[in-house]
Amino acid sequence: MSRAYALNDWYAVADAQVLARGPRRTMLLDQEVTVSGTTDDLRVIDAEGSAYPAQFRYGHVWTSLGDAPRPLFDIPEADEPGRRLVPCGVVRVKCSPLRAVENFLDIAHFPFVHTGILGSEPHTEVAPYKAEIRDDVDEVWATKISFYQPQAAKSAEAGGDTQYLYRVAAPTTAVLYKTCPPKPEAMDVIAIFVQPRTETECDVWPWMALYDDVSAFAGLVQFQQEIFLQDRSILENQRPVKLPLDPKMEIPTRADLTSIAYRRWLKSKGAFYGALTEDA
Amino acid sequence: MLTAPVGLIRDLDPKRVMRAQVNGQDLVVWRASNGDISAWDNRCPHRGMALSHGFVRGNDLACLYHGWHYGGTGVCRYIPAHPELDPPKTIKATVFSVAIADGVIWVNTQGAAEPAPVPMASQPLRSFHVVSHSESLARACRTVAFEGAFPEQLEQGLYQLGARQVFLLENPLDQGRLQITALADADATPEGCAALSRWCEAVRRSAQEEKVAA
Repeated sequence: MSRAYALNDWYAVADAQVLARGPRRTMLLDQEVTVSGTTDDLRVIDAEGSAYPAQFRYGHVWTSLGDAPRPLFDIPEADEPGRRLVPCGVVRVKCSPLRAVENFLDIAHFPFVHTGILGSEPHTEVAPYKAEIRDDVDEVWATKISFYQPQAAKSAEAGGDTQYLYRVAAPTTAVLYKTCPPKPEAMDVIAIFVQPRTETECDVWPWMALYDDVSAFAGLVQFQQEIFLQDRSILENQRPVKLPLDPKMEIPTRADLTSIAYRRWLKSKGAFYGALTEDA
Repeated sequence: MLTAPVGLIRDLDPKRVMRAQVNGQDLVVWRASNGDISAWDNRCPHRGMALSHGFVRGNDLACLYHGWHYGGTGVCRYIPAHPELDPPKTIKATVFSVAIADGVIWVNTQGAAEPAPVPMASQPLRSFHVVSHSESLARACRTVAFEGAFPEQLEQGLYQLGARQVFLLENPLDQGRLQITALADADATPEGCAALSRWCEAVRRSAQEEKVAA
């Protein structure tokens, strides 16, 4: 187990709703931590009582266990007026945190796993798109993605081609931008903040910043939860449980450019928590 | 025993997919529309997804995750994300040897499947899992009465129950479980088979209770 890189990232460990219910004792990077306080006065401590830095951002409490945390990534859309910020609760998944992120970056599974919602046969083709590691911001980006979706969002009234853009801001945080059905010139933002409990179990906190004034909050959350529960049925049935970084272990195709870039990026950084490396 | 019984062919209709285990190897066992049966490593070479969650399309097994199709030889035949692409032949599921005998599906993960001989003229009875050891199961077979009399063990796995005979094939699974494939003598009527099947269930419960008591 290598926590070295992971220790200095920030992780969501609670949302405002969970925090309001009282202290949350949880697990982060194989370590027990307890989150308590209010959004203005947060406290994160471990079992021995040592305190860790905490901040409230994007509807969640973030903490880092390392001595030299990297800055928390920026999601500028969070501050755009007119967007509804929707924390979607938490989903526990028995899988590597990295597999959860990789699945989030994948569109080719939509017709099979999210049938009738995010995809449907025979609309299975993944058109060429671009995926790259952006060294200047140290992020993985995938752009120029277009995919047919029967119901791209809660607010979508009919099927259509949806444009996607993905950003991997940290090994366990991915943000996607997709066509916003009621506001074609804007893009909805959906992110997953993955809390790595261990290398093989995570809590996934989906979060959205949408232009949707019509749907009820509960309906928006339910829509997203349904999708993540469908993903969970996949994620808990992949072997090995950890994400293999050796390209020989799992064979990719052209549709997997984002995943190839993601794995390469993890490898180059030494971000091995939740990964299976050649010498493991 | 390298070749192991993984179930009855009558429990695996065409287009059905099941999960099995032989010598610790996790398997997907599936039946094509044309009736052919295959046993593979339960893992899609693309993303490691369990193929036992997949579905049969024609004579191919498709992975649930991305719908990749694999033919009976294990070679990938179709990738839905790239419908025009002829998939490289190197994309291939790990295939194991399968044999069918006495209505039983046999799999060998290390070589050619060679079914064990069945010491009677038989018909398929049922397949079940039991949390128990081989010895406890044999003891349960001898001590659970059938139509008022205790069965007599004739040889390993073979029991005389009055006029009837039952042959139990064992396949050890993980977590102290056994998969049992049961055969009845060929002369047993449907009613006779139903009675033997109820006896099997009583044996299963008895063997598990002994395990719990121990």
